[in-house]
Amino acid sequence: MAAQETSQSAIFRHAFGNVLSFTVLLLIGVMAFSIRLFSVIKYESVIHEFDPYFNYRVTQFLTKSGVYDFWNWFDDRTWYPLGRVIGGTVYPGLTLTAGTLWRILNSINIPLSVETVCVFTAPVFSAFASWATYLLTKEIKGAGAGLTAAALLAMVPSYISRSVAGSYDNEAVAIFALIFTFYLYIKTLNTGSLFYATLNAIAYFYMVCSWGGYTFIINLIPMHVLLCIVTGRYSPRLYIAYAPLVVLGTLLAALVPVVGFNAVMTSEHFASFLVFIIIHVVALVYYIKGILTPQMFKVAVTLVVSVGMVLCFAVLAVLIALVASSPTKGWSGRSLSLLDPTYASKYIPIIASVSEHQPPTWPSYFMDINVLAFLVPAGIIACFLPLSDASSFAVLYIVTSVYFSGVMVRLMLVLAPAACIMSGIALSEAFDVFTRSIKFHLVGTTQNPQENAGDATKVTQNDVKSEKSEDTVKERSSRKSKKKDKENIEKPSLVSRVEKRLLVLPLETSVMAVFLVVLLGAFYVVHCVWAAAEAYSAPSIVLTSRSHDGLHVFDDFREAYAWLSHNTEVDDKVASWWDYGYQTTAMANRTVIVDNNTWNNTHIATVGTALSSPEKAAWDIFNSLDVKYVLVVFGGLVGYPSDDINKFLWMVRIGGGVFPHIKEPDYLRDGQYRIDSQATPTMLNCLMYKLSYYRFVETDGRGYDKVRNTEIGKKHFKLNHFEEVFTTHHWMVRIYKLKSPRNRIRGKTKRSKSKSGTSKRSTRKKNPWQ
Amino acid sequence: MAISPTTFAIAALLLISHLTSPAASLSSDPIVTELSALQSQSPTGVIRLSDSLLRRILSLPTPRPFHALIFFDAHHLHSKPELSLPTLKSEFALVSASFQSNNPNHKSKLFFFEVEFQESQSSFAQFGVNSLPHIRLIPPTASDVKTESIQMDAADYSRLADSMAEFIESRAKFTVGQINRPPVVSRKQIAFIIAVILIMTPFFLKKLISGNTIFHDKNIWMAGAVFVYFFSVSGAMFNIIRKMPMVIADRQDPSKLVFFYQGSGMQLGAEGFSIGFLYTIVGLLLAFVTHVLVRVKNKTAQRLVMLFALFVSFWAVKKVISLDNWKTGYSIHAYIPSSWQ
Repeated sequence: MAAQETSQSAIFRHAFGNVLSFTVLLLIGVMAFSIRLFSVIKYESVIHEFDPYFNYRVTQFLTKSGVYDFWNWFDDRTWYPLGRVIGGTVYPGLTLTAGTLWRILNSINIPLSVETVCVFTAPVFSAFASWATYLLTKEIKGAGAGLTAAALLAMVPSYISRSVAGSYDNEAVAIFALIFTFYLYIKTLNTGSLFYATLNAIAYFYMVCSWGGYTFIINLIPMHVLLCIVTGRYSPRLYIAYAPLVVLGTLLAALVPVVGFNAVMTSEHFASFLVFIIIHVVALVYYIKGILTPQMFKVAVTLVVSVGMVLCFAVLAVLIALVASSPTKGWSGRSLSLLDPTYASKYIPIIASVSEHQPPTWPSYFMDINVLAFLVPAGIIACFLPLSDASSFAVLYIVTSVYFSGVMVRLMLVLAPAACIMSGIALSEAFDVFTRSIKFHLVGTTQNPQENAGDATKVTQNDVKSEKSEDTVKERSSRKSKKKDKENIEKPSLVSRVEKRLLVLPLETSVMAVFLVVLLGAFYVVHCVWAAAEAYSAPSIVLTSRSHDGLHVFDDFREAYAWLSHNTEVDDKVASWWDYGYQTTAMANRTVIVDNNTWNNTHIATVGTALSSPEKAAWDIFNSLDVKYVLVVFGGLVGYPSDDINKFLWMVRIGGGVFPHIKEPDYLRDGQYRIDSQATPTMLNCLMYKLSYYRFVETDGRGYDKVRNTEIGKKHFKLNHFEEVFTTHHWMVRIYKLKSPRNRIRGKTKRSKSKSGTSKRSTRKKNPWQ
Repeated sequence: MAISPTTFAIAALLLISHLTSPAASLSSDPIVTELSALQSQSPTGVIRLSDSLLRRILSLPTPRPFHALIFFDAHHLHSKPELSLPTLKSEFALVSASFQSNNPNHKSKLFFFEVEFQESQSSFAQFGVNSLPHIRLIPPTASDVKTESIQMDAADYSRLADSMAEFIESRAKFTVGQINRPPVVSRKQIAFIIAVILIMTPFFLKKLISGNTIFHDKNIWMAGAVFVYFFSVSGAMFNIIRKMPMVIADRQDPSKLVFFYQGSGMQLGAEGFSIGFLYTIVGLLLAFVTHVLVRVKNKTAQRLVMLFALFVSFWAVKKVISLDNWKTGYSIHAYIPSSWQ
C-alpha cells in the first residue's frame, strides 16, 4: 500500500514536472520573441540594413512566381547590363522558410503581408532556437540544465544582434538549424536510432540551405567522432550517428546549387571523408575483435594494422595530391584565416578590412555573452564529471567556437549557443547543490533531522533516478555494457549519499551563494534588455537622434527611394555606390549598376572610377552604361558619418585597382584626406565632390560640413552635365539626372569642324572608361 | 627512367645559361667579369665590398652597366637586438639569392654588396653613413655617391625581404620575383620526422587499442579546454594578430606604465590576460565549490573556503563590470517603471 502511494506520488510529481517544464519552455519562447521586438516598438516594422532588403526582394519574387521560377531566376534589375543568376548564387533556406510561412498563413486565412512575415521570421526562429537548446542540453545534462540554457539563449545579446525583428538575414534561421542539427546528432548518439540519424541528415541539409557556416558542423562532428575513437569511446551508436550523416548529408548538400560540387571538392569537407574512412576501419577492428579469440585477435591486429595502414596512406596521399593541386590548397581564404589567424592580415586585405572579421578584445565578450563568460569554465568542468559522449561533444563545441570567436568577432554568434549551454549546465549544478544544502538544513532543523534529511535527499534521488531509469528503459537495447557499468557505479554513489548525508554545504554560505548567483542572473537580464533596446535595434534605414528639443527622425532614405519609384520610368537605370544597390532594387524597384553582392570587381571599379572622375568623363562612363540617375548619400548637413564622402577613398582605391589613371595620391594633400580649401584640385573637381556639395553653400551661407567639421573648399560651382532633380528633407540623399547631350547647332558645328572635328571623332571612339 | 631525359634537358639548359651569362658580360668590362666571378663564389650572391673594390667600381665612367645595392654591416653591433642587423643581413642575402635564381639573365645588372665597418671605414665615410641599419642603392648614373644614391627607408625593410624586393622593383626597375625562403625544417629533417612517426604509429595504435594513452586522461583534456577558453576570452588572438605589447609607457609621463587602455577597439597584452584570468577564476571557483567542496567533511573548512570563494567571485565580477564600463563608456541601465522612482 505504501509502495503504491509513493509510486503514485512519483507519477504525480513526474507529471507536474513535465507540465511545469512545458510552461517554462512556452514562456521562454514568448520571451525570446518579445525581447526582439524593441526595434518594432522603438522604430517601426521595417526590414533592416542592406542584405535583408535583398532577401526580402527574393522572398517577394518567390511568393509571386513560385519555387521553380525562383530557382531559375535571372535578375536583370541589377548589375546592369550583366544581370545576376539569383537562384544559383543564394543560400535559399531563409527565403524558402519565410515563403512557406507566408503561404501557410495565407492558406489558413491570416492575410499577413510578405514584409510582415519577413520582419518577424528572425524572432520566431529565435524562439525555436531556444527550444532546440533545451533539447540539446537535456540530452547532455538533464532537463534542469536544459531549461536554464534555453532561458539564457533566449536573451543572449550576441544572438539578439543578428535576430531582432526586421533583421531578415541568413543567420536568423541558421542558428536554429545549427543547434537543432547538433541536438539530433547527440540524440542519435545517445539512442543509436536510425530514425534520428535520418532526421539529422535532413536538419543538416536545412543548415546547408541556410548559411555558409554549415562547414562548422561538417568539421566539428568529424572532430568529435575522431575524439571518441581516439579516447576509446567507439560504439555502434557512434557509427550510426556519423556514417548516415556523411553519406546522406553530402548528397543532400550537393543538391543546393550554391554548394553543388563544392560538397566533395573543397578541403573544408575533406575532414569528414577522412574520418568516414577511419570509422569504418575502427568498426571493422571492433567487429573482428568480437568474433575472434584474444590470441587470434592479436594476430589479426598485426595483419589488419599493416594492411590498413597501407590503405590509409594511399588514400591520404591521394587526398594530399588533390589538395595540393589547387592554388589555395583547396581552402577558402576565410577558413584559412581561422586556422592561421595571421593569414588574413598578411595576404587578404579585403577580408582583413571588414570590421566583422577583426579579432575581438575582451570587452566584446562582455558585451556579447556578458556574465556567461564567468560561468563557462564551471560548465566545462561539470561536463567532465562524469564525461559522456554527449558532454564531450559540448566541450568540443565550446572549445572550437571560443577559439574561432577569438579570431573573428563575427563568429561570436556561433559561440553564443555553446556558452549558453555551458552556463546553463553550470548554473543548474550550482543551484542543485546550494538549494539541496538549504533544504537539508531547513527541514533538518524544524523536524526530526534523521528521517526528514533522508526524505529530502530521497526526493532529489528520486528525481534523478526516475529520469535515469526512463532513459535506460529506452536505451538499454542499444547501450553498450560499458554504459551500464557506469550507471552501476553511479547508483551506489547515490545510495552512499543517502547514508552519509554529507554532500551539502553550510546553510548561511549556501544562502549567500544563491543570493549572489541570482544577482548575477539579474544583472544578465538587465544587460540583455539594455543591449536589445539600445545597442542592437536600430534599423539603419530610419535614423533617430535625440537632442535637447526632442527626438528627430531622419527618414531620408525611404523618401528618396519613394521619389525614384514614383518619378522615374520603370526601366531607368540608377547608379550609386554598391552599398545602396540592394535597397534601390528592393524599395525603388529600379535597375542598378552594382549592388552589395560584390561579385564583379571590374564593374564596381567602373562606378568608382566614374565617381572619382571629372564631370565630363563621368558623364561619358555613366552614359555608356545607360544610366539615367545618379544617387549620392551626403551626411554633411545633419552629421551622418557613414556617407559617400567618407567612403570615397575606397571608391578611388577600387577604381584605381582596375583603371590605373585614377591615382589615390591625387586625392590626398600630403597623405591627408581633406575636402576644405587645402584639398587637391582633382578632389575638388571630381564628380563625388560636386554631387555632394552642389548648392550646399545655400544652406548656411558658408558651407560648413558637420561630419568633417570644416568649411568646404569649393563653394560656388555649376554642373554642366548633371542636373539636380531631387534632394531629401535633410539632404541625406541627393539624386541627379544625366543631362541629355546638347543639340548640335548648325553654325557651331561648322565653326568647330575644322578645329575639333577630327579630335571629336577620335574621342567618341575611345573607350570612355579609360 | 622516364624522368632522365627531362633532367638532362634541365641540366643542359642550366649549363647553357651559366655559360652564356658570363659570356655576355665578358664583352662589357673586366670589373663586371670580376664581380660576376665573386658573385658566383658567394653562396647567396652577396659580394663582400672592400675599399679598393669600391674605388674601382666608382672609377667606372657613368652610366655604369649595373646597379649596386649595398648593405652596411658592423659586426660589433650584431649583439644589439633593437638594430636587428643579423636578421636584416640574412634577409638581404635572401633577396639577393632569390633575385639571382629568378633572373639569371639580369645577374650582372644588379649586384648585391655588403660592407663591414671594421675593415672598410673609409667606405662608410665616403657614403656618409653614421647610423645603422643602412641600405643604399647606387644607380648607374650616380657619380657622387653621397648625394645621388638612394637610401632605403626604414619602411622599405620593415617587412623584411618582401619590402626590400618592392624597393628594388620601384627604384631599379628589376623584378625580384618570388622570394625563395628556405623551409623551416630541411628535407633531411622532414624525412627523419616522417620515419619516426611511421615507426611510432604501430606502438601508438597498440596503446590506443588497449586504451592507455595520454589522451585517455580526462584531466588533461579538462585543463586543455579551460586553457583554450582562457586564451580566447582574454583576447590573446587580438594581441597576436595586432602584435600588441604587454604594456605601454604613459604619454604624459614616460616613466609610468599603462596597463589598461581606454577605448574598446584596442587592448594591451597584460590587460587581456588579467581580465581573462578574472573571467576564468569565477567559473573555476564555482566548479570547485559544487564538485569538490561538497565532499569535504569539515564544516568550518567548508564555511571558510566558501566565504573566500564567494568574496573573490563577487570582487572579480564587480571589477570586470566596472572596468568594462570605464573602457567602453557604456552605461548599462535597467528599465524601471517611472512610478517606482
